[in-house]
Amino acid sequence: MSVNRFSQDATQIALEQFKTGQISRRSFMTALAGLGLAATFKPGAASAEVSEIVICNWGGAALEAFQKAYGDPFTGATGIEVVIDGAGPSTGAVRAMVESKNVIWDATDGGMVDAATLGAGGYVEPIDYAIVDKSLVGEGLAAEYGICNYTFSNVLAYDTKKTGETAPTSWADFFDLEKYPGKRTMCKWIQGQLESVLLADGVKPEDMYPLDVDRAFAKLEPLLPEIIFWEGGAQSQQLFRDGEVVMGNIWHTRANLLRKENPEFTWTWNQNLLFASAWSVPKGNPAGKKVFDFINSSLQPEGQVELLRLMGNGPSNPKALELMTEDDKAVYALAPENAKNNLPVSAAYYAENEAELQNRFLDFISR
Amino acid sequence: MVIKVTNFERWAFMLTVPAGVVAIGLYVFPILQVLALSVTEPSFGFGNYVSMFQNPAIGRVVRTTLIVSAVTTLFTIVFSYIVAFALVQMRPKVRRFAMFLVMLPFWISVLVRAFSWITILRRNGVLNSALVETGVISEPLELIYNQLGVIIGMVHYMMPFAILLLYANLTDIDQRIIQAARSLGARAPTIFWRIWLPLSKPGLAIATLFVVIFSFGFLVTPAILGAGRVLMIAEYISVQISSTLRWGVATALSTTMLICVAAAIALAMRHPAFRSAFGGPQK
Repeated sequence: MSVNRFSQDATQIALEQFKTGQISRRSFMTALAGLGLAATFKPGAASAEVSEIVICNWGGAALEAFQKAYGDPFTGATGIEVVIDGAGPSTGAVRAMVESKNVIWDATDGGMVDAATLGAGGYVEPIDYAIVDKSLVGEGLAAEYGICNYTFSNVLAYDTKKTGETAPTSWADFFDLEKYPGKRTMCKWIQGQLESVLLADGVKPEDMYPLDVDRAFAKLEPLLPEIIFWEGGAQSQQLFRDGEVVMGNIWHTRANLLRKENPEFTWTWNQNLLFASAWSVPKGNPAGKKVFDFINSSLQPEGQVELLRLMGNGPSNPKALELMTEDDKAVYALAPENAKNNLPVSAAYYAENEAELQNRFLDFISR
Repeated sequence: MVIKVTNFERWAFMLTVPAGVVAIGLYVFPILQVLALSVTEPSFGFGNYVSMFQNPAIGRVVRTTLIVSAVTTLFTIVFSYIVAFALVQMRPKVRRFAMFLVMLPFWISVLVRAFSWITILRRNGVLNSALVETGVISEPLELIYNQLGVIIGMVHYMMPFAILLLYANLTDIDQRIIQAARSLGARAPTIFWRIWLPLSKPGLAIATLFVVIFSFGFLVTPAILGAGRVLMIAEYISVQISSTLRWGVATALSTTMLICVAAAIALAMRHPAFRSAFGGPQK
């Protein structure tokens, strides 16, 4: 997604937990370190010198806290200071910055699709795998213009009070209004939406891409009156809390929060739609090659596991699995149990088709 | 007729120059850049405008925007006129309190207001629960996540503006005319239809124009209360800028909207009601 809405949401979750005292300051900082969000916020980030690395994420209020957890060790090891800018590296923002030749960010936290889109447009540097250790991340998580910093999934979440005795187990159940009457919620941002429709309609995961959009629309059209479209993670959670929906296609982090809050809400990993978030390096970044040292250090398993515990963002480093408890694995999309029937969402497909598809989808659902 | 410009007016004009320069630098210049993008991105020419008029999806977005804006304006003006009229009739003490209530929403963000409406209007919300429990209806009404919800939210947002504009106009109406009408034996309805309403025209005109123009640009309210089912121009443009990177289409659409709004204002200003609302050439 060209606005990394998931990452924005994950930071919000951590901040809320920190504020309400559910996690300590220390673990909060460690968690965000896993996102590579360590650093202080400097208003004068525009004047970044070669001796520092400027990271752009979707942060906000908690930026100062990240410095201690991640920035200090990194600075200690390399002598390079880390500065964080929470402005939000939407593809539009990266493009504007690169085109005006006024690049202030060294690394941006976007999705794999963003990385590919920006790469195709010539707005980002290829990841330098002479410096970044590709083997730190799982298979398929290292791409030309982006390397995965964490993973997340769209899952089928449901309200057990409303679904009754037999829980829904697949997207086919999700779209079965006779079996499970009531409203559903889906996301109005396209990635991972039509996949769920097509899986329900019997398309095999290996035949998923390119998406058969007409088939998906035909299946979805009669169901539209029963669907409420969410645009932010908090909203998807609220729809469940309010009892407005029976089921939803939502981020697993929000499903996890719902279950923690009230065990009547839960989700199935079956047919989960797997996404990879990624670091990208805008073309002409001020710190040059040094940014890749930072990226390398953000792929260590310890911080990634801590992040999983607090927010549910899944490690991209498979070694993290060894550090996990059973509880950790229950919320980790790539744990063998959970991953066996997933559908990895194709970044290459969306990099090519997202703009057109997003517009068609918005037009379709608002008719 | 030669209009004489006094020294005072000349000085008054000079005092507005610094603000004018700032506005041009920070507002007009960026708008010109946007205008330029619409004919240069992705290639030079009017391709964006051509494809915009040929794109049925944009046509639907425009239609939705026009319908929602028109209905919003109608209800806003009718309700606001009732409130403004009541305000004029109130005793000063009561009026101060009523005025406070009118102004109150100005301090509440548009987001909070939209979410409050969700609490009230959703299926298990305050209103539906009350109606179901008192037996008025058996099934909850679909009050949000559709055009109705968006219109409710927008009318609520626009009413304080319209009330203030109409109130300013109504207080200007010379009370002696009303007294004269009464002394000549006119009853209340006659006084309203033949004096209040005709003399309210400038206020009604300006409030209508204001609400219509404002409604075109609504972003947050339709996004939240429409939940994907109501797509208006502002949201469409915002998606093209930040998500799909179709800046050419986005800026072409913005430019077209700007021109339409400017044309609407220019056209409206030819009408005497508007000119008198702005206190124009009466001197």
